Amino acid sequence: MLLEAEPAEPITTHTKTGKTLTHLLLKALLRTVAANFNLRPGLRRYLKAEAGWFDFTVGIRTESRSVETAIRFRNGRVRVLKALPDDCGVTLIFASDKAVRMLLSATPTEQIFMLMKSKMRTKGNQAYMMLFLFYLSLLIHKKQKKQIVQERDESQKALHKDSPTAKTELSDELRQRRAYRMRADSNDPGVKYLAEPFLSDYSLEDFPRIKDFIEIHFNTTAEVCPERPRLVTEWFKTHGFETNADGSPWIPELRQGYAFKYLMENREPIIRKNDLIAGTTTTKEIGVVVYPDSHGTMIWSELLTVPHRSLNPYGISRETVELLHKEVFPFWIHRNFREWVREKYDSPLCQAIDERFAVYFIWKQAALSHTIPDFPKILRLGATGVIDEIKQELAAGDKTEAQTATLEAMILCLEAMIAYGTNLAAQAESDAEAEADPKRRAELAHLAEICRQVPAHPARSLDEAVNAMWITWVGLHMENTNAGLSLGRLDQWLQPYFEADMAALETDGQRRDYIRHAIEMVACFFMRCTDHLPLTPDLANWYFGGSSSDQAITLGGVTPDGRDAVCDMTYIFLKVTEMLSIRDPNVNARFHPGINSDTYLKRLCEVNLITAATPSMHNDAAVMTSLEEFDYAPEDLRNWSATGCVEPTLSGRHIGHTNFQMMNMVAALEMALNNGRHPLMNWKLGPDTGVVENDGFKTFDQFLEAFFAQFRFLIEQSIEYNNMLGKAHQAIRPTPFLSSLIEDCIPSGTDVTHGGARYNSSGAACIGLADVTDSLMVIKKLVFDEKRIGFKALKKAVDENFENAPDLYALATKKVPLFGSDNDEAVEMASRITRFTHDTYGSHTNYRGGSYTAGFWSMSNHVIYGTLSCALPSGKLTGKPFTPGLTPEPHASTNLLDNIRDVARLDPHHMNNNIAFNVKVVPGGGDRRENIIDRMFSYVKTYFDLGGMQMQMNVVTSETLKDAMAHPENYRNLLVRISGYNAYFVTLNSDLQKELIERAEYGL
Amino acid sequence: MKQPLILEIKGNALDDGPGIRSVVFFKGCPLSCMWCHNPESKRIGAEIGFEAKTCVACDTCMDVCPEGALSRDNPFFIDRSLCTLCFKCADACPSGALSRIGTPMRVDEILARVIRDKPFYDTSGGGVTLSGGEPTMFMDFTGELLQRLKANGIHTLIETCGLFDIDRFYEIVYPWLDAIYYDIKLINSDDHARYCGVPNETILSNFKSLYARYQDGGVPIMPRTPLIPGITDTPENIQAIVHFLSTCGVHEARLLPYHPLWQEKNLKIGVALGGHAAEMDQWLDNQVLDRCRTVFATAGISI
Repeated sequence: MLLEAEPAEPITTHTKTGKTLTHLLLKALLRTVAANFNLRPGLRRYLKAEAGWFDFTVGIRTESRSVETAIRFRNGRVRVLKALPDDCGVTLIFASDKAVRMLLSATPTEQIFMLMKSKMRTKGNQAYMMLFLFYLSLLIHKKQKKQIVQERDESQKALHKDSPTAKTELSDELRQRRAYRMRADSNDPGVKYLAEPFLSDYSLEDFPRIKDFIEIHFNTTAEVCPERPRLVTEWFKTHGFETNADGSPWIPELRQGYAFKYLMENREPIIRKNDLIAGTTTTKEIGVVVYPDSHGTMIWSELLTVPHRSLNPYGISRETVELLHKEVFPFWIHRNFREWVREKYDSPLCQAIDERFAVYFIWKQAALSHTIPDFPKILRLGATGVIDEIKQELAAGDKTEAQTATLEAMILCLEAMIAYGTNLAAQAESDAEAEADPKRRAELAHLAEICRQVPAHPARSLDEAVNAMWITWVGLHMENTNAGLSLGRLDQWLQPYFEADMAALETDGQRRDYIRHAIEMVACFFMRCTDHLPLTPDLANWYFGGSSSDQAITLGGVTPDGRDAVCDMTYIFLKVTEMLSIRDPNVNARFHPGINSDTYLKRLCEVNLITAATPSMHNDAAVMTSLEEFDYAPEDLRNWSATGCVEPTLSGRHIGHTNFQMMNMVAALEMALNNGRHPLMNWKLGPDTGVVENDGFKTFDQFLEAFFAQFRFLIEQSIEYNNMLGKAHQAIRPTPFLSSLIEDCIPSGTDVTHGGARYNSSGAACIGLADVTDSLMVIKKLVFDEKRIGFKALKKAVDENFENAPDLYALATKKVPLFGSDNDEAVEMASRITRFTHDTYGSHTNYRGGSYTAGFWSMSNHVIYGTLSCALPSGKLTGKPFTPGLTPEPHASTNLLDNIRDVARLDPHHMNNNIAFNVKVVPGGGDRRENIIDRMFSYVKTYFDLGGMQMQMNVVTSETLKDAMAHPENYRNLLVRISGYNAYFVTLNSDLQKELIERAEYGL
Repeated sequence: MKQPLILEIKGNALDDGPGIRSVVFFKGCPLSCMWCHNPESKRIGAEIGFEAKTCVACDTCMDVCPEGALSRDNPFFIDRSLCTLCFKCADACPSGALSRIGTPMRVDEILARVIRDKPFYDTSGGGVTLSGGEPTMFMDFTGELLQRLKANGIHTLIETCGLFDIDRFYEIVYPWLDAIYYDIKLINSDDHARYCGVPNETILSNFKSLYARYQDGGVPIMPRTPLIPGITDTPENIQAIVHFLSTCGVHEARLLPYHPLWQEKNLKIGVALGGHAAEMDQWLDNQVLDRCRTVFATAGISI
């Protein structure tokens, strides 16, 4: 691992004061830092923000206090303090002297791992740490850049050494997949106009405009966009945040409404060159949106290095750096979700656990946006129609002051959208005037006409509907963090406009042209969705590698009244998915056994084969079964959409924050093995549940109870933090615009952050089900049932990473039936865990009055949580990844059907936030496309017949992935499914790449 | 009824008949082909296997062996002259390096195993394939198993070397079959005796009979030829096979390219590699495969 090259411990001598030489060394270094800032005007100017001098203190100490010092920034002077004062803005606490010295010589990536691996922890306001690191980076960023380049070159050199020549036959095979396209042999009842629904006659070559957009997508480096942070900060500085100009407290909804209106009215209205859709989320070709009210300040430390980092580099202009450092970030140091909780609840334990990285991550520190807005409403009524509805509510006169303010805030937001639409129309007109090409001039004139109609008024055509959706989407992203906000059932919602347009056409030629136009429109929409990226601090590149904002689209399934929903637009979206093969939007397909056709499922498989990774496929019936326990109206249940990754949200009326957290279940197992102590953090945080070394467990069930007790503790802590952060959202950033598009918020006059939606819940992603199940199976079978080994001996082997016990390692990995091996006992074990997880989460109510739900999928966290865990009884070694989602271990069985059957046997009732089951299949050479598709179809269909909920296939060999790792230039668009989301393989961190390579691979 | 030992039941098989299948491997074969790809299936009785690369050298097995038959000084690890096949070592072995080869299984046990995959057979048009070894060495058992599979609505296929009593086959096995894969290896009977241990007259006459019955509406039968370098892939043999098949009226056949993976399996069951091992460690050359294909295609037999 990265940190093992650390220097031996040479300096242990303590000085007279009880401090070590490291202490003296650090103080000397800090004094140099101070002197530089005090004496060099070029640096000193960074000590001042627009509103005055930065004033804060950073404490630095070791756990044992062998090192203890602080550096104070005050009134434009920097001073190193003799002792650690009480008023430190933030304190960095190192595990040892060695860790302090390591940090000083570490590369940026190594520093990240030091933090994640508990070599260092923090106490206090994270923004101050980021600011302090920014100051350090001002001194050493040239060296940092060199280190980054060196790191990247060395790893690439090592890869090239192993694989000097590119295997172009492998990259060619991927490209050639799109050359052959199957034709449909039957049609679905809902398909009205497509004679051949697979649309096999079309390819990307037919759409030069889209080809250009794809080139831009792959060849443009994203750039940090200053527009949103600048405008919102400007407004709040003028009008106040906590209190208004009169000094009385703001009602947060109203404040946000005004700020939103200011933002939308003053944003630059942009029509991208050659686009058929108006509006952009940023002023850049591909922009990174900054949300300083959530996690924006996390990028502070990287402002100078972010263009140079290896993973997800962003461009950033000098002006933007100045703006963020001097004008934006200072305003938000205390005004963000995380710091609001820290101050309001006095640094609670539940937050301290989160900030150690290894146990859980609560997404609300960045976003609450995992939901599906009511697009049909804005299409049907337009913003003016929604305003009328709100005004009627207000006219009833029965609202409280808070409700009235909330409704007024919604009106402000809708007016803001109308203003933005008007600005876009004007822009389209002036672009048209300046346009020389008559064809493009006509398109721009058409766009101007569209933007005069939508989103202000109802959409009347597919062109207007798609534009209205996109413009609304831009607005939602100006209000909400771009993390998992999802699009919903676009095929269903656009089909009426498609049909109406079609019905008005008279000749076959017109209809053919229109179908081509509809494909192009949808492709433009997909490409619009790639115009923004989430702001990802480098640390998050290891946590959520390669993820974009995961804008899920859902296709197929059944209509609200239970009929087959597959329609023309379903196949048009699938065609676009196939042609573009891009990571985001994240396409999810619902398949309802007994209602949707085999033809449709085969098409899903074919698109999956051609794109190698998408769509994700869901068993509609099983997902609905999983939600049976809630009193959801049947027509709402049938209208569910996937959100972010895979999770179900009832479209337009449900705030399910379906990714409120990433939970490491394995941490609870490690704590059960260590009586509540987490080994990597070396922190006794959980309850006493028994000591293995003292024969604390007489039966297996006693140990299982210990695991459950630790897990319950972690669940309760994480829920407490989630509820606190929920309150923070209410105070810092309620979302009246989103609320106006979520059912019931208007009649109740309540923002979604306060539970205004018809349905409320919070959904967890629980990670490591296979690793926990298999570890428990090893303990049960070998220690208690067969008594082949003692618990203490097993524990010792685990503690020593199996280095001295090859026989125990062999027993654990080879002689115990595992989850995914077609074994009843292992399935029962997994079921006990899912039941406990579901019941425990389900016993809690969230701050919006909704239930907690449990899912078993992992984004990419199965890798980082694996890195941050020790060896396990299952034979997982220290630092190795868990399996993705609830996928069985690669060595559970050589038979894919065993995997499929065991996963399908888990009860959906206990997995009400869905699952991610990854299968890697590869076609053999020479097989006919139809035969390959038949096999894929058979796996998926049978899995669904057996009751399985969700399945996602990577159709790519490990050999190809290895080639892509060494020769990324040949694979820029190689799409892979991590756990629930798609990413470009070549943009992933190396740990994630290796995990994908090591997944079990089955022939097709 | 003669009870077979079962080597393995392999699920999700995609190359042993149509659709997704389970393959039941019987232990024991009347032929003894020197290139046999499943050498552990040759003998009828149980054997002890040892796979050196899997062994973790914990020596647990040495403590439990009552005969002192295990030693690291022995290149095969097991002294098979001392071993009484008590399998205590295999039971104790943590890594699976020592294993029992061949497990007695009843018809209902096999049925219970393979029926779990029926949903996959149904969506893919697959079923169960009996292979080996040679299932017809256990004619009554095979017949009963096939009958039970059919009773459960499962598609059945047998892979056979063709050396069996055709009358009993028609009586006991044939009624429950949906398809037959039939090996035609060498046409010259002396060569067949030399390389496969027995002459081939019965094999060829059985094929003629089965193919004629197929043409009369009986069970479809697919001839398959393993291409073994220098043995079955010679121009003379390929020409002779094509001639034989043509006279039977065959229009479709399969070629199985040679691979050398069987050599490792031989070591596992304590069989030293003969002098021919070195020359047989290559995969079949693609040009040879193309040449053989051409001969079949020229005669109007599709591959």
